[in-house]
Amino acid sequence: MGNCYRKQRTPLQRLGTRPTELDDEDGPYMLVINNNNGATGTSNNPSHSRWDNLRNRASRRNRDTQPTWSLCRLTDEELDKHVIDTLSTLRNSAENGTTLILRMRMFRFWANGETGWNMVLLSLIRAVPLDNALGPSAITLFIDHCPLPTKQGVMKLVNDLNLSWEKAADEFMHGRNTDKCARHRNVCAVLGHLAESLAGPLSATILTQNTLEYFMCGLEQTINGVHIPVVNILYSLIALEKFAQTGTNKDKINATEIRAKLMALEDWTESSDYKKCQVGFSARWLLDNAFIVEGRPLSYESVSLNNINAMLNHNDVSEYLKLSADGLEARSDASSFESVRCTYCVNSGVWYYEVTIITPGVMQIGWATKKSKFFNYDGYGIGDDEYSCAYDGCRQLYWHQAQSRRHIHPAWREGDILGLLLDLEKNQVIFYLNGDPLPSEGGIFNHAKEGFFAAASFMSHQQCIFNFGAKPFKFPPLDREYSCFNDHATLTAEEKLILPKHKKLELIKLSEFRADQCDLCCDLKANTTILPCKHSGICSRCVEIVDCCPFCRSEITGTIIEDTNSNSYTSQACTSKSSHCNEKC
Amino acid sequence: MNKSNSSVPNLPRRIVKETQRLLSEPVPGITAAPVEDNLRYFKVLMKGPKDSPFEGGNFKLELFLPEEYPMAAPKVRFITKIYHPNVDKIGRICLDILKDKWSPALQMRTVLLSIQALLSAPNPDDPLNNEVANLWKENEAEAISRAKEWTRIHAMEQ
Repeated sequence: MGNCYRKQRTPLQRLGTRPTELDDEDGPYMLVINNNNGATGTSNNPSHSRWDNLRNRASRRNRDTQPTWSLCRLTDEELDKHVIDTLSTLRNSAENGTTLILRMRMFRFWANGETGWNMVLLSLIRAVPLDNALGPSAITLFIDHCPLPTKQGVMKLVNDLNLSWEKAADEFMHGRNTDKCARHRNVCAVLGHLAESLAGPLSATILTQNTLEYFMCGLEQTINGVHIPVVNILYSLIALEKFAQTGTNKDKINATEIRAKLMALEDWTESSDYKKCQVGFSARWLLDNAFIVEGRPLSYESVSLNNINAMLNHNDVSEYLKLSADGLEARSDASSFESVRCTYCVNSGVWYYEVTIITPGVMQIGWATKKSKFFNYDGYGIGDDEYSCAYDGCRQLYWHQAQSRRHIHPAWREGDILGLLLDLEKNQVIFYLNGDPLPSEGGIFNHAKEGFFAAASFMSHQQCIFNFGAKPFKFPPLDREYSCFNDHATLTAEEKLILPKHKKLELIKLSEFRADQCDLCCDLKANTTILPCKHSGICSRCVEIVDCCPFCRSEITGTIIEDTNSNSYTSQACTSKSSHCNEKC
Repeated sequence: MNKSNSSVPNLPRRIVKETQRLLSEPVPGITAAPVEDNLRYFKVLMKGPKDSPFEGGNFKLELFLPEEYPMAAPKVRFITKIYHPNVDKIGRICLDILKDKWSPALQMRTVLLSIQALLSAPNPDDPLNNEVANLWKENEAEAISRAKEWTRIHAMEQ
């Protein structure tokens, strides 16, 4: 996705300060053009004489030909307009267009100072529309481009928002009023993101009892008989998840009725309403990972995996992507660009898989070899290097080598089916949207001929379901023979198991090790002595793959492998290090 | 599933053992724990060693165990900005055991200890960041004062 998606790490108070004579307070300023007819610009004129002088000087010099500039206080209206325009730039700019970079820098510039930071965040809450496919992902992106806030800055924001159960209920009671629903969703997205990026004491300070109740209210399915919009339930859940990353918050949330609420919402996992699917997935993930209910089987214990032979690889995924227990559904709520590859690798033939789009935001779905790297923090994913290529249905782009090209499909919508064909006989990659193919692409074959995996990257709050052939395809390609992973792949029962983290950590703590095992693999018995240095503590399998003695780096001229049937060391044939094998052979 | 000697599915026993030990007997001044759902990624918090310009700082690092581990070295990077001749602008660390001197007998623990030692004893003769290394060689007092300043700015939050 490129540099625009990089995080800014400089804390607010460290940034350079503006000339002090300008600052009667630390509020942000902007430049406006003074047209001759005065159509542009806002009503509040710059008050300070120094800037008047500058402007006058400029206007004297360029009179009649050039527009003149003046400095005004940034208004909420201008800021909201900037938010809306940047959303559309983000949606439409293929790469890191200069406009996008400049627009992002403006956020950083304006948010430099407590007043400005507060204005920018309130503007995000006010201005990001409900129906924008990028909405909440854009909110996290914009906030990441602002400097880190001070504690006072955060507290002021929480005070200004003045959240409570009643406030949330009021927003839901006007369910027809999309402005209020958007506001609620945006508050959840903004505070959730702050909770995550400021995890620790600051996150605990934000989650006051009233703020907690504001989020909990969102988990009620109805208020006074009025259904709460699904999107508001979803972002309440996401905010709670992010707050729960801080221990004291988690205890606080645990003390509410969170578990019962989540259990009720988990039933939505199979819903035909794609927004409800997201709620179901998120509720289930929280029940499996954060708010464990005694007696409720974890999803991995109850899921049926009998006919699933290929899935997303939970050992080949960046750290924050959430995978379902059947390994076929993925969601990210992290602000990094999360990626995953599937378990099955293809080297020849023609292969096809399908993806059901649950959220219509930025995902880059396609093909990658193992050489493709997941630089999730830097915003690089599938399609962002020479070893991968991807389809992005939100910005309507085809990606390869971090270069993008607009394609002719309409923007994808929830429920759309993306078909992906890899033809290693004709060296073609073809993407289909609901059965409609794009012209074939072949750039990736200049860099890789084999070793391909299905792969995808996710911007925050994006989700989709993969079908590697365990279910019938919706739009199978008609013009050629193809295979699907599920018919050819195999996975052991152990490989299919996607355990929640706490379960894995539990297993780690429970694992036992024998004292006589190999220091390298910790798996087999250490039965080998290396010659001539006589170091032992390694097994006969590991000694085969080391270049020199792992303990002293001396050259290996031979090995003695302990006879498994007796305690005596017997000299055996030398190992594969035959080139060095002159001492014992 | 809950066999007492059970291992973690798809996680090499070697990584299980090292993680177990890092969690049960942490290295003094260093906390390291696997993050979220991927047990090959570790978030590391390292205290700046006493009597070094980094004293008082808390430095965040990320450590990733590649698929070939332990035959290939872990990948380690400073996330917190640090003024150090052997660390470049994006946090990469110049340390021989992370490169050609890696040995599969070394562990995450030894790597972290080595990085801690590197903070105590910067090595400007094998620099990754020439600008910093030059100042370190030409005017050590100034370099140390900058390192302290960076520590204060970037590694002492709240």
